[in-house]
Amino acid sequence: MNSLAPDAFDTSIVSIAPDRVKLDIQELDFFYGKNRVLKGVSLGVARNAVTALIGPSGCGKSTLLRSLNRMYALYPGQRATGRILFDGEDILKAGTDLSMLRAKIGMVFQKPTPFPMSIHDNVAFGVRLYESLRKAEMADRVEDALRRAALWDEVKDQLHASGLGLSGGQQQRLCVARCIAVKPEVLLLDEPTSALDPISSAKLEETVTQLKADYTIVIVTHNLGQAARLSDHTGFMYLGELVEFGETAGMFTKPVTSRASDYITGRFG
Amino acid sequence: MSIASSPTVGPSPRRSAPRGASFEPVFKALCFAAATALLASLGGVLVSLVIGGWPALARFGVGFLTTSTWDPVKEVYGAAGPIVGTLITSALALAISLPVAGGVAFFLVELCPSVLRRTIGTAVELLAGIPSIVYGMWGLFVFAPFFSRHVELPLMAAAPPGSLMETLVQGIPNGSGLLSASIILAIMILPFMAATLRELLMTVPPQVRESAYGLGATMREVVMTVTLPYVRRGAIGAVMLGLGRALGETMAVTFIIGNSHDFPKGVFDSGSTIASTIANEFTEATSPMHTASLIALGLVLFLITFTVLALARLMLRNQARL
Amino acid sequence: MAVSSARIAGRRVGNAVFVGACVLVTVLALAALAAILWSLASQGVGGLNLAVFTKSTPAPGSPGGLANAIVGSIMLGLLAMAIAVVIGILAGTWLAEYAGDSRYGSAVRFLNDVLLSAPSILVGLFVYEILVAPFGGFSGLAGGVALALLAAPVITRTTEDVLKLQATALREAGVALGTPVWRVIGKILWRSGASGIITGALLAFARISGETAPLLFTALNNQFFSLDMTKPMANLPVVIFQFALSAYDDWRRLAWAGALIIAVSVLGVTIIARILSQEQKRS
Repeated sequence: MNSLAPDAFDTSIVSIAPDRVKLDIQELDFFYGKNRVLKGVSLGVARNAVTALIGPSGCGKSTLLRSLNRMYALYPGQRATGRILFDGEDILKAGTDLSMLRAKIGMVFQKPTPFPMSIHDNVAFGVRLYESLRKAEMADRVEDALRRAALWDEVKDQLHASGLGLSGGQQQRLCVARCIAVKPEVLLLDEPTSALDPISSAKLEETVTQLKADYTIVIVTHNLGQAARLSDHTGFMYLGELVEFGETAGMFTKPVTSRASDYITGRFG
Repeated sequence: MSIASSPTVGPSPRRSAPRGASFEPVFKALCFAAATALLASLGGVLVSLVIGGWPALARFGVGFLTTSTWDPVKEVYGAAGPIVGTLITSALALAISLPVAGGVAFFLVELCPSVLRRTIGTAVELLAGIPSIVYGMWGLFVFAPFFSRHVELPLMAAAPPGSLMETLVQGIPNGSGLLSASIILAIMILPFMAATLRELLMTVPPQVRESAYGLGATMREVVMTVTLPYVRRGAIGAVMLGLGRALGETMAVTFIIGNSHDFPKGVFDSGSTIASTIANEFTEATSPMHTASLIALGLVLFLITFTVLALARLMLRNQARL
Repeated sequence: MAVSSARIAGRRVGNAVFVGACVLVTVLALAALAAILWSLASQGVGGLNLAVFTKSTPAPGSPGGLANAIVGSIMLGLLAMAIAVVIGILAGTWLAEYAGDSRYGSAVRFLNDVLLSAPSILVGLFVYEILVAPFGGFSGLAGGVALALLAAPVITRTTEDVLKLQATALREAGVALGTPVWRVIGKILWRSGASGIITGALLAFARISGETAPLLFTALNNQFFSLDMTKPMANLPVVIFQFALSAYDDWRRLAWAGALIIAVSVLGVTIIARILSQEQKRS
């Protein structure tokens, strides 16, 4: 039986080479009004890899994810302090252009959110915001995005049908395609398969594995198996703190902290 | 297409801001302007009533509210008649309509066989949309003769001389009058009140009702001791909404109230309401003071209905918070 | 301890009385409403003929119809809806998307609800003061504005309610792409709430279709056929009011016919609105 260290540990123990860090989160605090829900979180997100955030409900993993594209800016009363360096630039600074940030960091939500328009227009929606493409170029972009999201074969004959008519799993892949079409650098996935049936979930997981070659991916999941299958690095959070962070293989077989070990072995959660 | 040359990866010629970003403040301002326009129009109603009615209020002072002389020839205007008429007809209409609307609402929620429920419920809601002028016409041409022949005349004949009842049923038995107008008004606000009360009753969680039935309570007991108290605040709010409507109703009343400025002496006597007076006299007003008096009447109505409606909304909001 | 059978019997009787009263009252109410509809149908149909739709309002004793009034009402309604839809949707959008929990937002919401139930005759007086008296004449424009002030609060309310029902994730998905908020509203939220918003507009239209009081001092009436909105405009409700209270039989017949036309169109619009909202609920 290995003797395990106390709860929190020094994240510098697991360091990702600086040139491999896409998003460097430094001492991030997050507040809902007066409530501090994230406490001094620091971790590095490796480029072209999948980083998973796991932990029990309420631990702050979704809050952390939503800080990365500053989604919280929609809601007065929510604020973040600390630094998040995106390729060296602090995106928490005042004056950051949020639209352009979100063009580079895309997000897929727990509930599939197809827009009320055709499949083609769904995918083209974001592209139209930032680029002026001719019809043929747009068609290519849409096709490519749908292929990468593993949806092309299923919808290629009905691109002008409404996106709302697709099944749950297809809608979610449509949302992925919509994100990809804008040519982001990072993809944030907030429990993307929790509303899907097992077959659709498996398809989506396959897609994520293929996407990591070209994008940096951060995924929040309450499904430990999924984290183990998909991710290269995993961060375990508890009550707003990053308790443990490391390479996935190592963490799931030999977690350093007792709390992470308890969570992973199902003692609580 | 190989991944290396795939269109969705790699640097792209992006604009410096998403398309339409510069329009955002304009749109927000437009929306704000629209919202403020609504606010301003209500304020405008109040201000215009005060300005327009000021000459009359300045001339007659508080006496405007208490005297009932309305003499365009002598230029003396007292609003007591229409004010009293408004209050009495609305109160009577509510008194008649509320139990009926309540009964219909309870029927639909507790008693109605589900086959019929949708039809009757829909019928009630549709009828809430019938314009008031229809009620007014029906009141004058169908109801009034019937009322006169089958209710007014017999009652007036049956009243023992010198009794309280005789005083109450004074008036000309032509079917128009205070009571007739109240009844028509009651029928008019009935669908609205029934639909509102029914919606309110449906907000009671089924488990609450079922627990009461499960204890062996009869329907009447469940309704009186569980359902009604649960929606009490909302019910009061709904009642006040109905009252607000009755107070401001013009067409349903104008046809059948008889249009007399004096205090009605009995329920069959003619009277007037603020709305019916304005409707009848405004375009034929004989002098600026006449017009100003009518507008001052409108101001009185505004203040009464605003108070009632504001209280109603407060009640309904407190209900929703439960 | 046995429960006294007298007590149980008492409760049963009380219940029976209550149930009986509810049923009786419902029957009465439905009967009264049926009687009204019956009168409307029988009297109105009697006055309906082709001339009603093709000829203008006549002098007493001469043949005629309601054509000018029908056209006038349609024009007033369209003008009112054009104004009300723009103001109502923008105001409702502001309340749902931009106002948040602000005090000003609460005030607007509250006063909008008051305006919604305010006596329509007072709105007529207000528009008289600002659009008729200063310009020295009644006009269709003033009438349209008065009706718009009655329709806009309805549309504002339903638009706000519909937008608030849209899933937060949908809104956030648009924002997550970097979309400017107005585009999220215009291209995503308005579209996904479209049938609810349209239903609100239809209900507002039904509401103003039968309004008489506000038109009495704004559009007034016009004996002849006219499309000029800067002059008094013929409209069904005021014509009905005038004809019904007159002493002439043929005028009264026309009044009933007009009442039937209004009632049927209001019912028709309401039914369409309900069908739309059922479709919305089903999807």
